[in-house]
Amino acid sequence: MSSELLWYLSRATGVVSIVLLTVVVVIGMVTAGRRRPHADRATIAAGIHRWLSLGMTVFIATHIITAVAEGYVDISWLSVVVPFTSGYETVWIGFGAIAIDLLVTIIVTSLLRHRISERYWRGIHWASYGLWLFAIIHGFALGTADQPILQGITLACGVVGGLAASWRVAVSHADTDRRQEIKSQEWV
Amino acid sequence: MSNIIELINAAGLTGRGGAAFPSAIKIKAAKENKARLIVNVCDGEIGAAKDGWVVANHLNELLEGVALITSGHAKPIFAAHRDSTTARLLAAAGLKVLEVPHRYVSSEETSLISLAHGGTARPMTKKAPFVFGGQRSDGKRIRPTVVLNAESVWRVSQISRRGVDWFRSYGTDAEPGPRLVAVGGFVSTPSIIEAAAGIPVMDLINLAGGLDPSVRLVGVGGLGGILLTADEARSAIWDTPTMKSYGGGLGPGIITVWDPRQAAAHTAGAMIAYGAGESAGQCGPCMFGLPALSADWNAFAMHPGADTHRRLQNRLTLFERRGACAHPDGVSRFATSALRVLGPELLQSQPYFAGGNQPTEVLSYV
Amino acid sequence: MSDTRAVESDLARIGVDRVLCTGHGICARTLPEAIVLDEWGYPILAADAVRPADAKLAVKLCPARALFLR
Repeated sequence: MSSELLWYLSRATGVVSIVLLTVVVVIGMVTAGRRRPHADRATIAAGIHRWLSLGMTVFIATHIITAVAEGYVDISWLSVVVPFTSGYETVWIGFGAIAIDLLVTIIVTSLLRHRISERYWRGIHWASYGLWLFAIIHGFALGTADQPILQGITLACGVVGGLAASWRVAVSHADTDRRQEIKSQEWV
Repeated sequence: MSNIIELINAAGLTGRGGAAFPSAIKIKAAKENKARLIVNVCDGEIGAAKDGWVVANHLNELLEGVALITSGHAKPIFAAHRDSTTARLLAAAGLKVLEVPHRYVSSEETSLISLAHGGTARPMTKKAPFVFGGQRSDGKRIRPTVVLNAESVWRVSQISRRGVDWFRSYGTDAEPGPRLVAVGGFVSTPSIIEAAAGIPVMDLINLAGGLDPSVRLVGVGGLGGILLTADEARSAIWDTPTMKSYGGGLGPGIITVWDPRQAAAHTAGAMIAYGAGESAGQCGPCMFGLPALSADWNAFAMHPGADTHRRLQNRLTLFERRGACAHPDGVSRFATSALRVLGPELLQSQPYFAGGNQPTEVLSYV
Repeated sequence: MSDTRAVESDLARIGVDRVLCTGHGICARTLPEAIVLDEWGYPILAADAVRPADAKLAVKLCPARALFLR
């Protein structure tokens, strides 16, 4: 494959990854923030959240492999996982590396969820917000200035994710409210 | 080391905190897992008083029982309600006291274990007994811990001192041994009675001053227990088969004669409302279900009719084994029993809230 | 076994950690023969023995990790 083709493939899979990641994160927020009477939709959402998060790793892996393999710019395998070690676009590739590290951690802990402490899983899963934000910045900065369509898609993902996060902060449901209310009573 | 366990097994001692689980099995597991011992002296059920009585009157024998169970190794913890007389007595004796908040579910076994681990005094999901160790739902590790009722521990020392035959000379073959009962409420001399399974309930009430002819209801086991009509109480035997036939059990040894001057439907409603307010807010069926049960009870008591009756009956089917602890089971058992004894006459005559027999004050159980 | 109907010993027993359950209601869709929801969306176990494959999927899909195999 020519370097040029790899470069285009890398950018294409990158932008698809951003879109899929945004879908996964938004569906995760909706699952966490909403309760009945939507059990049917919640079931579909949980399925999508689970399997799309695994499915998108194919695109992310392709994105990384092609970015390293193409020859125009220098991105080492090390800089894929260790932030800020890339000679090319040190900061923005570094953000991508942070996102990858978080992604691997979140996926591995989720696959092992039934074997680890629920508190730890929950704490780690909150890092999804950071993962998504780093990925968006990485994509927006690199995705790139000469390609308004790609940049527009990344921006749209950012707006949708931001709106969903605002909704997640603002929304409450009876289960959480009642738990909080009673927990604040004297229990020690 | 297993000598004492064989004795307890031969004696047939069961837990006196209400669950009536064979003590030998529990204590054997505790020894094998080097479990920390918590002696429950809370008397957490409404009307309970016997465990405080054991501390006040038989502390040395209680400590002897503890030594037999722990082989003198680990330092036991004594759980008592904060600022209670019992807590003061225990502290004065130099014992390690776990101060328990004044909440109904806080003296439950797993609540005490959670509190002893630095958590809140709220029940934990028990996938397996915590005598083996385990974890809280959020993943916090729980060390092997065993909770024994104070009376049970006291009985261990008695079995050791006086022997299996002495122990088995009390009670029935199925439920051997002496057992304490707190008789209170509308009686002239509320008392802690050394009783045993198989004796008439009336004998117990007579020891506390007798049953006034105006009495209509007798409670057995507090908020987690049942109600008997006075006629039922006059013929009932203090054993599990009899109490089971009325929907309950011996529980933690409580008989409460209800004051006939107070409207029973109102008193029962106050107890159900109290139970709803004491939910630990951890399990949906409890934290939403019990307030709904309370509302349904009040609706039925104020407007007895086919529809309010049906709604209450349907509600009562929604609590069985649907909490981490048995609090929702207990309150719904009580409400089911209250409906059994009060429902028919409420449906006939609507006497309590419509007529002149209004309660003069709201009862508090805290 | 050629019989497609599961026999009792082949079934998995499920339980709900009531403290973790926050009423997503997904188990009532993944295990419709065994679980119905109450008016707040919390599960009522009509039966606790279900086909192992169904149980495994339901356990995986419970967002609160409240459903477990006994």
